[in-house]
Amino acid sequence: MFESVEEVQQRFRDARYIASRRISTVVFLAARMGRPVLVEGPAGVGKTELAKTLSDVTSRGLIRLQCYEGLDEGKALYEWKYAKQLLYTQLLRERIGELIADAPSLPEAVSRIAGQDDAFFSYRFLSPRPLLQAIRADDPVVLLVDEIDKAEPEFEAFLLEVLSDFQVSIPELGTVKAKHVPLVVLTSNNARELSDGLKRRCLHLFIDFPTPADELEIIRLKVPEIPERLARAVVAAVQKIRALELRKPPSVSESIDWARSLVILNARELDPTLVESTLTLLVKYEKDIERVRGALEKVLAE
Amino acid sequence: MEERILEFIGDLRRAELRISTSEALDALAASAEVGLTDRETFKSTLAATLVKEARDHETFDRIFNLYFLDLQALGEGLKKALGPEDPKVQEQLDRLVDEEGLDLDELTELLMRGQGSEMEMAIRGGAQGAGLERLMYFLQVGYFSRRIADQFDWSAIEADIEKIMQALEARGLDPGQLARIRNYLELRLEAFRRMIRQHVQRELERRAYRAGEQLTREVLADKPLFALTPDEVAQMKGVVAKLARRIKDALALRQRQEQKGRIDSRRTIRKSLQYGGVPMEIYLKRRHREKPKLITICDVSDSVRNASRFMLQLVWSLQECFSRVRSYVFVSEIAEVTQAFGTYPVERAIEWALKGAPVDYHCRSDFGYAFSRFANTELESLDRKTSILVLGDARNNYNDPQAWALRLIRERVKGIIWLNPEGQWGWGIGDSVMPLYAPACDIVRECRTVGQLGEVVDNLVHQWWRRGR
Repeated sequence: MFESVEEVQQRFRDARYIASRRISTVVFLAARMGRPVLVEGPAGVGKTELAKTLSDVTSRGLIRLQCYEGLDEGKALYEWKYAKQLLYTQLLRERIGELIADAPSLPEAVSRIAGQDDAFFSYRFLSPRPLLQAIRADDPVVLLVDEIDKAEPEFEAFLLEVLSDFQVSIPELGTVKAKHVPLVVLTSNNARELSDGLKRRCLHLFIDFPTPADELEIIRLKVPEIPERLARAVVAAVQKIRALELRKPPSVSESIDWARSLVILNARELDPTLVESTLTLLVKYEKDIERVRGALEKVLAE
Repeated sequence: MEERILEFIGDLRRAELRISTSEALDALAASAEVGLTDRETFKSTLAATLVKEARDHETFDRIFNLYFLDLQALGEGLKKALGPEDPKVQEQLDRLVDEEGLDLDELTELLMRGQGSEMEMAIRGGAQGAGLERLMYFLQVGYFSRRIADQFDWSAIEADIEKIMQALEARGLDPGQLARIRNYLELRLEAFRRMIRQHVQRELERRAYRAGEQLTREVLADKPLFALTPDEVAQMKGVVAKLARRIKDALALRQRQEQKGRIDSRRTIRKSLQYGGVPMEIYLKRRHREKPKLITICDVSDSVRNASRFMLQLVWSLQECFSRVRSYVFVSEIAEVTQAFGTYPVERAIEWALKGAPVDYHCRSDFGYAFSRFANTELESLDRKTSILVLGDARNNYNDPQAWALRLIRERVKGIIWLNPEGQWGWGIGDSVMPLYAPACDIVRECRTVGQLGEVVDNLVHQWWRRGR
């Protein structure tokens, strides 16, 4: 898939994703060793984007499983379409009646119906959820398990099982084994500690806020129409705001939004009134906004 | 190289990183995939396979730098040490060796044209027989440097140098040039000796780091809080932060309840309609777990200053974890600090509570007065869901203990937990009124060390708030 770490870096770049050396190394290893990657880091540094870009770059389909509290196997793996099964049995009542009409005894009738089991427990009545989709896919895919920390520990244990064998057993249908081992990316916002087992199984990647140089590159790439001077000013300001001990420091996606809005407003450079009126794009909490406002002079200083 | 990686993993483990065998195997396999050509890539590879907690990255970086030298930087350093390389001299030497076919010692070759990295590898080779594992003190650096140096055949090198000089002389170089070349070679020889010494020093650093880490951790956990030096206080912060993290994790894990309990007939029946009245899916009644309500009351008088520092840090973290925490501090006057703790970052909040809070710091601590004030003003807001955490030494300076106030508070709340930073043997002696307060408390614990603080926290998380369910 990839020949070298440099190739990963280059191809991600071509797909408009600035991957640091560390990120590309981990992606390279994941592809080589067939291991899932667990990506951690603050919100909005491009964790989900990494998986999307990976699917782009490798031209594999992306299957996404968004985790939330209360997510269970039925929503993640597969579910029988009970309603459809019921409907079919209702509609086919007569046919079933015919089938057992001449059965001499009750046990005989039961075994005749049992013989037709497959008709109702087949893929026709199964709705596959993301995990099963990823395993049954005919072409290799990228599986994104987003915000795994939102799901419960039990689900994590279950996921671990799937990720280590890439096979699932459905009691009525037997074991389904993956045709291709999918590239798996798990993301976590660190709302809680993940289990050791899962961490052991995965390659671990911690994405922090980018360095000023990288961020400048990202902004140039994502907002190509931005004047160079403004881009530099934006990056410098954002970096300073991040150092202010805010409740939620601005993420990369927010600085991109901000840069975009400044371009729309036709700004050439940052001046205090402009910054103040667009600050809500960058900082989302009332207290944080106040703090930035108070330090505005420092933030805008060259 | 594999051995080196395994040794490195051993050191990471000693620094309390949890690394399983499968992860170690991963690291070996992964580093084989990427090779060793690029230091940064190699480092990312080891980090991705071995370090699974963001907070461990710092330790990893530090130990990595001790283990895997930046050979490129080292080479540059060597070049600097040698002064600007003299290309002319080097050229002359190269030509001489080529043309004369001199039979030189390996080391001399290395010395004459080697790069920093090759020299370092040679030293590492030499160090293997020198018993470096016994290296412990700074004073031994000289001794071990000599032992490593002894592994090399210096007389052969010197003889080689003489040979070279003679050969050059025979070629009719003038004395000035000869002196320059000799000087050049000797400089390199000297640099090589220095590199040996540096190697030993680095090794010592690594060992000291290892031993030091372990020592501080063991000692700190059991050292009485009041006896800590400012340095140790700084180190301790990390320990308390870990503790707070533990509370947070434990609570996050318990956010969802086990699937047990009575059937929720309403929801089950509604869902069964979808399946023609067959209850295919069963819903259970969610038991509402009470959200812990917590009030912390912390003594911030001078006598328990160090201890309160940690207590306050804990209080701050608790406030972050629970939504319903109210925090109070007192010396004799009592004041609520919830808001400040909610807004300030931890350092500032603690400093503020120890110096700037609206209580008088110059009087002597008076628990009785504080409790009676608290009972007078706050009693109405207490209920059976509230737990109270008192942090203080109960040294009342012979004031009226007013234990009735604490009893009154106890009647209103779920329970009172008292953490005392003083050893149990001192309770009741002198002006300590702990025995008078104890009957009103549900749990009274000695909390002199961070180790004990950890136990208390575990206890709280796993038993106290579970009990009431």
